[in-house]
Amino acid sequence: MAAFEPVLSRNWNVAQSHTLPVYESRGGYQAARKALTQMDPDGVVNLIKDSELRGRGGAGFPCGLKWSFLPKDRKETLMCINADESEPATFNNRILMEKDPHQLIEGIIIGCFATKATAAYLYVRFEYIKAYQILERAIDEARAKGYLGKNIFGSGFDLEIWVHRGAGAYICGEETGLIESLEGKRGWPRIKPPFPAVEGAFKKPTVVNNVETLACVPHIVERGADWFKSMGTPKSYGPKLYCISGHVNKQTCVELPLGITCRELIEVHGQGVWKGRKAKAVVPGGISMGLLSADELDTPLDFEAIRKPGCLGLGTAAVTVIDDQTSIVDYLYNCARFFAHESCGQCTPCREGTAWIYKTMKRIKLGGGRMEDLTVLGGIQANLGITPGTTICGLADGAAWPIKNALAKFRPELEEYIKTHQDPRYAVTPLQTAITMGSPTTAAVTPVSIGMSSPTGALRSPHSS
Amino acid sequence: MATMILNGQEYTLPDNEKLNAIQAAQRFGVEIPYYCWHPALSVVANCRMCEIEVGSKDPKTGEIKMIPKMVPGCQTPARDGTVLVTNSTKVKDHQKMIMEFLLLNHPLDCPVCDQAGECGLQDYSYEYGQANHRFVEERNVNPRKDVSDLIQLNQDRCIMCTRCVRFTREITQTSELQVTRRGSHAEIDIFPGIELDNPLAGNVVDLCPVGALLDKDFLHKQRVWFLAKHDSICAGCSTGCNISAEENRGQLWRFKPRYNPNVNDYWICDAGRYSYKVANDVNLLNSAYLREHGVLGTISIDKALTSVDQSLKATSKDGGKIGAVLSPFLTVEEAFLLSTYIKQLSANSVLALGPVPIEGEDKTYHPDKTTGRTGDVSFVVPRPFTIHAEKCPNRHGVEAVLKHFQGEVIEFKTFTNEVARADYAAIYLTAGGLEPFLDQGVADLLRASTKMLIVQDVHVTPLAQLADIVLPGATFAEKSGSFANADRRLQSFDAALAPRDGSLADLDIFAILLGKSVAPILSNEILAELAEIIPDFAVAKGGKLPEFGAVLGTTPASTTSGSAERFADSWTKHRISSVGSYA
Ligand SMILES: Cc1cc2nc3c(=O)[nH]c(=O)nc-3n(C[C@H](O)[C@H](O)[C@H](O)COP(=O)(O)O)c2cc1C
Ligand code: SF4
Ligand code: SF4
Repeated sequence: MAAFEPVLSRNWNVAQSHTLPVYESRGGYQAARKALTQMDPDGVVNLIKDSELRGRGGAGFPCGLKWSFLPKDRKETLMCINADESEPATFNNRILMEKDPHQLIEGIIIGCFATKATAAYLYVRFEYIKAYQILERAIDEARAKGYLGKNIFGSGFDLEIWVHRGAGAYICGEETGLIESLEGKRGWPRIKPPFPAVEGAFKKPTVVNNVETLACVPHIVERGADWFKSMGTPKSYGPKLYCISGHVNKQTCVELPLGITCRELIEVHGQGVWKGRKAKAVVPGGISMGLLSADELDTPLDFEAIRKPGCLGLGTAAVTVIDDQTSIVDYLYNCARFFAHESCGQCTPCREGTAWIYKTMKRIKLGGGRMEDLTVLGGIQANLGITPGTTICGLADGAAWPIKNALAKFRPELEEYIKTHQDPRYAVTPLQTAITMGSPTTAAVTPVSIGMSSPTGALRSPHSS
Repeated sequence: MATMILNGQEYTLPDNEKLNAIQAAQRFGVEIPYYCWHPALSVVANCRMCEIEVGSKDPKTGEIKMIPKMVPGCQTPARDGTVLVTNSTKVKDHQKMIMEFLLLNHPLDCPVCDQAGECGLQDYSYEYGQANHRFVEERNVNPRKDVSDLIQLNQDRCIMCTRCVRFTREITQTSELQVTRRGSHAEIDIFPGIELDNPLAGNVVDLCPVGALLDKDFLHKQRVWFLAKHDSICAGCSTGCNISAEENRGQLWRFKPRYNPNVNDYWICDAGRYSYKVANDVNLLNSAYLREHGVLGTISIDKALTSVDQSLKATSKDGGKIGAVLSPFLTVEEAFLLSTYIKQLSANSVLALGPVPIEGEDKTYHPDKTTGRTGDVSFVVPRPFTIHAEKCPNRHGVEAVLKHFQGEVIEFKTFTNEVARADYAAIYLTAGGLEPFLDQGVADLLRASTKMLIVQDVHVTPLAQLADIVLPGATFAEKSGSFANADRRLQSFDAALAPRDGSLADLDIFAILLGKSVAPILSNEILAELAEIIPDFAVAKGGKLPEFGAVLGTTPASTTSGSAERFADSWTKHRISSVGSYA
């Protein structure tokens, strides 16, 4: 393989890289000029199709294909740029926006030209205040220079970009949740069909793309589809920004060709597991994607190979390392808390299931675990996302996957934890168990009526504080 | 001819109708359980109860391909070649799972819950749920709150179907309700200080599949299984909303809307909803009265009727002019019998229309299905709903009868002007409205201008105090018959209550005066007679009207639109058939 040349991150270490003059001095806006003046929209769509660029936002959906789903007879198209980046441990979009906003803007210009979108909404995560300010400034610069607005590069193409700040909800990263939120509504994902390409924001055909996906576009226009496909593994081409965090010596974001193994990423780029410890497990792409065990570290991190060890997908390629002194119970507890907090609450299985998993994990963590809880958790995760079609969006799948993978890969540890962490204060009472089974047997009830002051007290879980 | 396959059997789909899987299956006798779906509200598919296996049949090869994942029936159109499986283990397991999840945080307080007996959770638990669950954690207890003076929200019971929210957004477009917070802590709420008080607000209580939204007026008053339900029509305005009048121990307890796509769709207004109280009023007229030596005294009803008949006949024999006032609260059958009687007394007797109460202006809600979420809206069919300013149920029906008998309608005002010239020997005035007739001026005028004043009413009014004979008629709830609404749609209804002590149903009063029979008279027999005699009423041939009524002067077939089937959520289905009738 020829020496890999980073493109997405090439300006990150350049002083003032977020300003237009610096960006242009490094060849910026040439790709946009080329696309708008020398190509036609379908040409750009076909080029992206040829490059087999897959979405970097999580689902890995082929970008060119998504663009070609727009109805042929549409009158108006909108573009939404998903910069809600809320997947835990993911921060590549943030750096892309803070360090090189013009690269993104150039990608948006080309993407909008290809899809004939005349308005682009940049949906920025609420917490990214700096990125928001930098983007606003960059957009002003670009507009002043005529790269946005009317008749860009004399091509007759008009475009405006509006920056919209989210309000702090993970679910608004889901594309239809994002659209609802953009429309000023509660971020409740929509049912599909219709897909956004047919009926999206404000009932108009809408393309939703991730920041990194669009950042790839100018480079493909500049260097061609073959260049893009010269990197990566089959079906997963091009460069990718990997985030490494957790128990490593160096927490960073690096650009690498798709398909690097997890081990190489940790050893070389993360400079190994911290404090001389070993990795117990690795989160491959944001917590929604599940877990890799220490034995599976040679799995290539691309869209396809990651499924083999049972993970949901590549996700955001945000790798989090969990060292061998960390309990999987703690990890699952944190995941469960996140999803219970972030479930939007419309689908019954997700709303109730995420909260149930959280409550169960909390009880196990505190010392009230029962062996059968593992079976119950196994059942809930199956109800949530593993059985396809039970919910509207993918959050439920994401909530289910860490549990699914942990039960498959770390069951002995979970069992051991339950055995060794028992605290009567948090234990399930016999009456609770009996009620659950629908048939309070005398055996189950008697000790309660003697031991506890009142059965109503037993109905309340003791760890309600 | 479009066909679809449901659980291995082929069925023909109806033409010109867009149905989703739930509706199509319902037509073919298969229930797909659901909570959040409602035929007039946008499809959100969030309760996930109606998930089924869906596939399609290749028209050429006949090969059946199933979608690998389960799909909500509410968002699945029933088209040519659609394949649905609703009874597989996969589907049944899914339903069990949803029931378990919905009940995790639901307080099992059915013994004190108003919804018990007509609750979606109870019914589906029995049919699709399971007896035990795996949940040993602490339940969430969401708060109870008031969303208006009339409606209480027990948030702990809510299952987040968002029907109530969508109703206020899409039907009334007032948007008082919304979802706040997230995940399992999500709540339905109002904006601080902005109550859910639009004129249709009460419908959210009916829409709520569980006991979360509660009508404070009904709260803890009755167990619903004790209520006998009668197909009735609201007398509150000329819309003629189809209602179920629900009664126990001789009292009405509530009105609930009944589906009629041509009239009220699924709704009723709050004014109509609470108008049931009139029929429970303990101060209603409870005896006949006769004036003797200047004093009104009680008298048995048959003596009163004999006295009416004798004095009117005597008046007519002496050539005295007789006027009768037909209240727009009379049924068409009553109007027909009274007119027949009065005209028999003397051909130059005058029939006038009673006072028509008007309040404000007509208000129409034009539901906008595009304000809902995106998606296929073809099987969302909300219709406009109008609250009429004309606060009586049957002006059109009475007018049609009056036109037949004297070719014109004499308005009450015209009549009183004429009365002021004092050429009437006897006046027979019927009232029976929801509100008592209180105009003292008119009462004095009528009294002063005639020798014989007969008043038939349900209220004790200033006019009754001045009358010579007072006849205690029936309230809207105590009679059966037919009303023609603002669109001249004729609809029949049953009596919900037996005549209160001391009163006699108006139809019986007129039948006795006519010497027809002393046995209880059936309104549909009179309607059959009417249909033969007055051409406008031909639609009611044989005393029968189609399911959703028929417009006067038309033929039945052309008058129904929309689904020919009665819609009701399965958990309220028992409201459809009346348990018994006093008609
Ligand atoms: C619960 C959930 C959260 C998501 N959050 C994000 C996000 O923060 N950023 C993002 O780009 N995509 C997110 N996605 C993926 C988007 O739905 C969508 O696939 C993506 O924006 C499409 O862009 P792409 O094709 O360029 O990847 C999320 C998906 C789900 C189900
Ligand atoms: S799966 Fe969860 S987060 Fe997604 S729409 Fe349903 S309830 Fe909301
Ligand atoms: S209050 Fe009733 S209608 Fe409203 S969301 Fe809850 S369960 Fe549904």
